[in-house]
Order: sequence, then C-alpha cells, then structure tokens
Amino acid sequence: MRSPSLVAFSVDHPRLVVLVSVALSLLAMTQLGRITTDTNPKNMLPETSAVRVGNRQVEQTFRLYEDSIVVGVQSERGVLNQDTLGRILRITDAILQVDGVAARDVSAFSTITNVTAQDGTLHVGPLMPRVPETEAELAALRRQLFDNPLFVDRIISRDGKTAAIHVPLEAGANGKEVADALRRIISREEGGEQFFVAGDPVARDTFGAEMFKLMAVFAPIAGGVMLLIRYLMFRDLFLSFALMMDAMISIVWSMGLLIALGFPIHIMSSMSPVFLMAIATDSIHIFNEFYFRYRETRDKRAAIIATMAAVSRPVRYTALATAAGFAVLVFMSIVPVKVFGVMLAFGTFALRVLSFSFIPAMFTFVPEAHLAKVAGREDADTGWATRLLTGLASLGAGNPRVTAGLALVLLAAAGLGILRLTVNNNMVEWFAEDSTIRTADRVMNEALGGTSLGYLVLATGQDDAMKDPRAMRFMEGLQRHLEGLAVVGKTTSVVDYVKRINRVLHDDDPAFDTVPESAEAIGQYLFLFGMSAKPADLDNVVDYAYRQANITVQLTTWDARAMAEVMAAAADFRQRHSAELPVPVEIRPAGIAYFNLVWNEEVLWDMLKGFSLALVVVLAILVLNFRSLRWALVGYAPLLFTILIIYGAIGFAGKDFDMPVSVLSCLSLGMAVDFAIHFISRLRQRLAESGGLPAGWHRAPAPAPQLLAALVWTAARPGKGILRNAVLFSASFAVMMVAPLTPYITVGVFIVSMMLLSALLTVLLLPALVVLCRGWLFAHEKGLVRP
Amino acid sequence: MKRLWLVVLLVLLPVHVHALTAVELMEQSQAAFLYPGQDFRVRIHMRLIAPGGQERVREMVMLRRNEGPPGGDQKYFIAFQRPADVKDMTLMVHKYPAQDDDRWLFVPAINMVRRIAAQDKRSSFVGSDFTYEDVSGRDVASDTHTLLGEEKVGEADCHKVKSTPNAGDVDYADRISWIDKRTFLPLKEEYYDLKGAVIRVFAAERVEVVAGIPTVVRRSMRNLQTGHRTEVEFSQVAYGIGIEDSLFSERFLRQPPRKWLD
Repeated sequence: MRSPSLVAFSVDHPRLVVLVSVALSLLAMTQLGRITTDTNPKNMLPETSAVRVGNRQVEQTFRLYEDSIVVGVQSERGVLNQDTLGRILRITDAILQVDGVAARDVSAFSTITNVTAQDGTLHVGPLMPRVPETEAELAALRRQLFDNPLFVDRIISRDGKTAAIHVPLEAGANGKEVADALRRIISREEGGEQFFVAGDPVARDTFGAEMFKLMAVFAPIAGGVMLLIRYLMFRDLFLSFALMMDAMISIVWSMGLLIALGFPIHIMSSMSPVFLMAIATDSIHIFNEFYFRYRETRDKRAAIIATMAAVSRPVRYTALATAAGFAVLVFMSIVPVKVFGVMLAFGTFALRVLSFSFIPAMFTFVPEAHLAKVAGREDADTGWATRLLTGLASLGAGNPRVTAGLALVLLAAAGLGILRLTVNNNMVEWFAEDSTIRTADRVMNEALGGTSLGYLVLATGQDDAMKDPRAMRFMEGLQRHLEGLAVVGKTTSVVDYVKRINRVLHDDDPAFDTVPESAEAIGQYLFLFGMSAKPADLDNVVDYAYRQANITVQLTTWDARAMAEVMAAAADFRQRHSAELPVPVEIRPAGIAYFNLVWNEEVLWDMLKGFSLALVVVLAILVLNFRSLRWALVGYAPLLFTILIIYGAIGFAGKDFDMPVSVLSCLSLGMAVDFAIHFISRLRQRLAESGGLPAGWHRAPAPAPQLLAALVWTAARPGKGILRNAVLFSASFAVMMVAPLTPYITVGVFIVSMMLLSALLTVLLLPALVVLCRGWLFAHEKGLVRP
Repeated sequence: MKRLWLVVLLVLLPVHVHALTAVELMEQSQAAFLYPGQDFRVRIHMRLIAPGGQERVREMVMLRRNEGPPGGDQKYFIAFQRPADVKDMTLMVHKYPAQDDDRWLFVPAINMVRRIAAQDKRSSFVGSDFTYEDVSGRDVASDTHTLLGEEKVGEADCHKVKSTPNAGDVDYADRISWIDKRTFLPLKEEYYDLKGAVIRVFAAERVEVVAGIPTVVRRSMRNLQTGHRTEVEFSQVAYGIGIEDSLFSERFLRQPPRKWLD
C-alpha cells in the first residue's frame, strides 16, 4: 500500500513534511494577490448562451434594456401634492445624472410621453414638465394620470399613494452601484414619503456582492467554531490547530491553483473554503482511532502506523467518494459549476494527501505524556456518547424488522412530501423577509403592476403585418388574457398607443378607446405618435418593418415559474385564436423574467444531472470499496434515505426546490455517504480481526452473537468518530443559519440535517439492515465466515 | 488722460469685436443655412438607421416661405409620401423664433386636421435623430456664442463656435459648430452633455450650388448614445419659385396643390 508508506515516511521525517507543506502553501499564497472576482450570478450562463443571445437580439430590435430598476415613492396622503411632486421631480433630475443610467429612457412623471387633446389641440410631450402650481393644474395632472391606462399601474398606483420612476441601466452597469447611488439621492429628501429601490439587478448584484462579504465573515467563524469543538473533543490545542491547518492548507492550495490558472472567483467557488473546511472534518476519524490505539499500545509511532492502517481504507474511499461527487460536476454544461467541481475535487484530494502525511507528522510533535493524559479519557465503554451509540446500534440490530419498517414508513411519508415539491427560483426571496430589498419589492409589487419584466415578441414574416387591425385585436385579446393571470400585473403594447391616439384624436371620446378599423388609420396614428413622442416609445413596442411587436409583461413576482405560466397562457391563446390572424404569428419570450426562468432551469437541471451522475458514481465507489454489490446497496441506504427524507421535508415545508437546494443535493452525496463507508469498512475489518462468523450461522433463526458484538463495537468506536464528524460538520454549518441571505440559511439547515440524519441512520438503520439481510450479505463473504 | 482712454479702448476693442463676430457669424450662418431664397422647395429622402442596421424610410416634399428677413418668421409645408400608409398626410408649421411654433397635421384616414401643440422644439422630427429645431433653426439669441478659433473640416476653412444655451431647458449642455468661412454653412456640429461627452454629431456631407445658392444636399445626424443615425438626401431643390402665402392654410393641408408636389 502506498499510503501507509507515506505515513511511515511522514512519521520518520515530520519536519520535512511540514516544511514542504508550508512551502507549497506559501507558493500558492503568492497567487492570492492576483485574485479577480465575478459577482454577477448572470454569468453562470455564458454571453453566448441561447437565452442571452436571444435577449440581446430582442433588446436591439426594440431598443430595450437588459436591466432596469424601479424607484418607488409612497405617501399615505397620496403623492399628488406639490411637495411630493417636487421631490419626485428633483429625484428624477438627479437620477438622470447617475452613471450607468440610460437617462434618455427613464420613465417618470417628468419624462414619460403623454398624449392628450385640449380644445382641439393635440398635445404630445412630457406628462409633468414642471410641478403644478395651482389646484387646477394638480387636478388636471390627476385626471391625465388616471385617465391613461399607459400610466396607471406603471408610474402611478390606482390609489394614488405610490409613484414610480423606471430607471433602465446601460449595458454592463452594476445594479448594486446604481442602486446605491439612487439610495444616496433619495436619502437627501426629507418628508412624509417612503422611498423604495427595487428590481432584479438590485437583488442580483447585491446578492453577488453580499455573498462574497458573507463568505469572508462566515468562513473564519466556521473555522473558529470547528477549532473550539475540536479542542473540546480532544483537549489538545496543538492537534486541534494541526487539523485546522490541514483544511487551511488545502484551501490555500486550491484557491492558489484556481487563480494561477486564470479563473475568476465566481459566486460558486466563493463557497469552497467552507466546504473544504467541512470536508476536512473527515480526518477526525484518524484522531478518533489514534486516541483509542494509543491507549491500547502506549507507543506513539506504532499507534500512528496502526491507526493509519486501520482507517486508511475508509478514509481513502470516503475521500474518493467526496472527490468523485464533486468531479462529476465537470460533465455539467455551466462553466462556473465545472470550475467549482474541479476545485473541490482537487481540494478533497489535497486533504487526503495531507491526512496521510501532514497529520501523522504533526502527531509526532505532541509530547507522549500529554497524549497519555488525553487518551486516558477515550474509552469505548463509558461516557454518554458511547452509551448513546451502542444503545442505538443495539436497538437497530435487536429490532431489525421494526427499525426497517419504520424507515420505510418514513420513506413513504417523504415520498408524499416529494410529490408536493415545486421547482422554482426567486432571487429576491434570497434576501431576508424584512430586508430592504425584499420590502421594496413587496411594496412595489403590491402597489403597482409589477417590477419583474418579461417580453413576448409577436413575430411574423411580413412587413407591416403588425399594422393590420386583426393583428392588433389579437394582441389586445392576448394582453387581456395574460392580465387574467394572478402573476401578471400589467401589459403594455403598441395597441395601447394606437387606442390612446384614436381616442385623443376624437376629442377624448371613450367610445374611440378601440383599435381602428383600417390598417391605414393605424399606420397614420403610429406615424403621428412617432412624429412627436420620444423615439424609444415606439421602438420599444414595434420593430422598424412592423413585422414584430413586443408586449411588455409586468410580473408581480420574481418567481422563475411565473414567466413559464405567461408563456403557457400565450401559447394557449395563440392556439385558440390563430384563425383570426392575417398571417401566422410566432410568440417568442424574452426579457429578464425569461432569463431568470432559463437560468433557473439550466442551473437546476444541470445540478440534477450532476446529482444523478453522482448517485451512480458513489454507488460504483461503494462497490469498488466493498468488492460487493450487496454491501454497496446496504451502505447506500443511509445516504438515499437521508436525501429523500430531506426532500420530503422541503416539500412539506412548502419551500421551493430552488437553486441552493439543487446545488447542495449534488454536493451532499459524496459527503453523506462517508459515514456508511466508515461503518461498513470497520465492521468488516472487526469481523475479520475477531475471527469471523461461525460456519452455517446464517441459517440459524437468530443472528450470531459475534455479529451483534461487532455491530455494537463499530457503533461505539468508529461510530464515535462518525458522531464527532457529524457534530463538527454541523456546527460549522449551523453558523450559516443566522445569515441574512436565505440561501445560506438553506445551506445551513440542509447540511446540518443531512449530517445528523445520515449519522443517525448509519448507526441505527445500518445495523438493522445488516442483521435483516445477513444471509444475503455474507453469502459470498468467505473471508468473514469460518470454514 | 486721453492716452489712458486710448489704451483702455485698445485693450477692450478686440474683445468687443470678437464677441460681436461670434453672434454675427451665427446669424450669417443661419441665414445661409435656413433662410436662403424667398421660398424653397425640396424632396427629402430620410433614412432612419438603427444600431442593428434596421431602416425606416421617410419621404416628403417640403415647401418653405420666409415671412421676413433672415432670423424672422417662416412657414413650412410638408407632404409625406413614404411610407405608403402615410401618403397624403401633411404637416404645416408656422415658425416664430421667439415663441412656440404653430403646427397642424392632416390625418387622411379619418379626414381630420388637428393642431399639434409644440411644447418641445427639442422633440424628434418624424422619429429621426433631427429635432424640430434642427430642421427649422434655433433662435440665435437663445444661446451665448463664443468663437473658439479656426479649424479645417475636410478641405474647408471653418470658424469654430461654441454655443451655450442661456436656459437649461434643452437636452444638451453645449454645441460646437464648424462654420465654413466661404459659404457660412455649418459643416459639422457636436452636441455635448453635462459630463462633457459628445452625444450627437451633425455633418453636412455634400454641398451643391443650386441657382447660385450653396445648399447642403446630404447631411447626417448621429446619436452617439443610442448608436442611431439619420441620413438625409435633398433632391429637386428649387429657390424663388413663387410659393403663395395662401398655400399655408387648412384647406390646402387637406388637398395640397399637385403643382408643388410632383
């Protein structure tokens, strides 16, 4: 075996090993200064992905913007008074000066185009070029606002208490930076109003930035917690540090390598330090066993070698399983996911090399007297932890049918929960319930037509097709149909302008709030509108050749699935009404809401693909490890049960199966299987060491006492390592449960429950299954059965 | 004492003359660019070109009649011919330099003449990158003009003039014009925003002499913020053809006389 010899070498040359490890770490650290970060979650999909290319085309055709922010002004006494309007005007003027804001297309009271008729004169111009000075002017403004469907729910709420400023961003502008600038502008205004800054770019870019900040806070805290717990477990500060160093070195190595290879640190790879720290806890099995062995032999060197001989196989295979779980991510299509997978696979590998070199080397520096004192406390027979572990194992092994039956019942219940899972993602909900961002979004979505924008492009192959009254009426019908959906707050299209002009040209007669009968009239209305309005007004809704029209759909939720609902409703409407169209029309989705839908699905399905692949790979590794499919299947049970029970719980809790959960599922496989590997490996080792089972034992109605004894021993000794591992792992992730971003809370809860559940199932369910399937399991195990 | 006055005068004089020259220059330029001839007729071909290359075409016949000396009132009559569905739409503008224009539009599909309020001279002319003001001229007195020096545009020697609007009601901060010393036509104009960045660029791309009058027959305006541009071509240019004042009335808006349009 290669590893024990590495162990022997390390024990014999501890200083050299430590020196080399530190030197390599220093080398890796030289790279850290060149770190580049990419905090934009959008970049999970490359610029060349179909959705981004398609969106760019639509944006170019209709001169739309990729991202926009909404500033809300809310006042209990209503916004239509001179004070508040003055403030809105001042804020708008200031916003126009902000870098990254596409000033020419900001929609606010003072900039939005208004078409009205007064005394036979057609007015086309900004709605409110200056603050109304008299009551009569105020009343006129109020009338114009509420009379015009293009304004209600867009820049003014129905109750007149909320006004909005829509701020499109230039390509490449950072949403968080613009949002911060907007907040500074707002903070200068004092009055009875409340101000809100909402929109996807705010959430997205803030999330990216916050994530990095949180990592910088949580990684050290998690590290500190681990150090503390290790110390409480082993009462040796030096060795606790040694174990921490193990994790730190692998983090520095993998980070250094990633940076040296020229990759930016993406939001996913920013999580790797915490993951590597958690994976490093597996080396606790070495400590655990070492303390037992030392107590038995009282020879440090011999204890180290014997420990490594005993745990090397499970430790290597758990590392292999973990690394493989990450390595399958290489087969995903999303680049940052691939990078993340490779980085963690490398980190896990580095950790294992360190387990067989750096850690044994560090052991040698601990004075024997100190070891004797600490190891004296380690006793497999006493202590509450031991009693708990042996109790659980005896319970499982003693009542195998009941235990397995209960597990099956639990599984069935989980199945019910899984049926209730909804796949969805909502980036705004990644922020805490009472966070500024989420509050702003909630308030704006309640008051107005919605902050999330989706586009439906109606495309024909014929010039001027969109001027046809039949196409117009189809579009109008589609808009009303979409507005019937709960997730849709408002829709806007060229039809709204045509109807508006028709009415205004006919002395504001509401009877003319309709689509005109002739294509000629429509063409002339649009020409008239285009003559005086801002060019963008018309460009946003029709293309140059009038082959395509764009319906802007305001969604009242950032749920990714909302856009899917809109698309389904549009397809359904088209199918039922296509006969009314002069030419075939294709409906294509676009916009940020559509991007979020695709992003969600791509990342999610990519993760699920990785998850399935990891399931297969982990099973293969178990087979390889145990050299037996049967043992592999039994070892698989705690992992499978853990994952399914967690999914079921998520389903019952009504939480969406979202991005963080799918990422975690994929990552957790390689970690959750560790305990079963340790348990089964050590159980079989123990059986072999203690002389095996008597021949013909499994035909007996009751399980052999040797098997029960071995199970209890495994639960007590390596089981203690498992318990320690689970506690340590959970403790470091439990810190995340107080994070202000919900994905972190999700990560925290998920990992903690996964660790504790898989530890419990390993100690309780595995013995039950081993006893239950003993005949089947040992049928081919010649080595474990006495001839 | 007398000598001192002379010195003061000598110091002040060039400055004074300089300031006068800039305004005079702009007045001359306006006369040459927007007021030549007692009246004027042209067929305008306009291409509105989006950054992605999509195009819209506008074709129209424009008639102009001066009501007084250069810098004074003017009347414009525009009959649209393309796109096809706006054929027979007509637009009439009575332009007053110091106050809002009067505009009327005839919409043939509903056989209706509507007055259009001209709240904003800076709004786009028929969706192009030109504003109404670009087409009919900005009152010289609305800006403060400063002579920046001389510069060549292509082969032509030009005066370089900076014009800063007196009131902040426009969508740009400064304009720099290059005025041809020989013809007084603006060969190039740059519009700057508050941050000092160029946002719009006008270029006179071809000048031809028609009936002894140098006329910009090809021009373009590009919006550097949006990447949009408009290219304009003049054909069938004619000056002093006797367009009567009665043409500029609602009756003729509905039925423009063929003789001016074909």
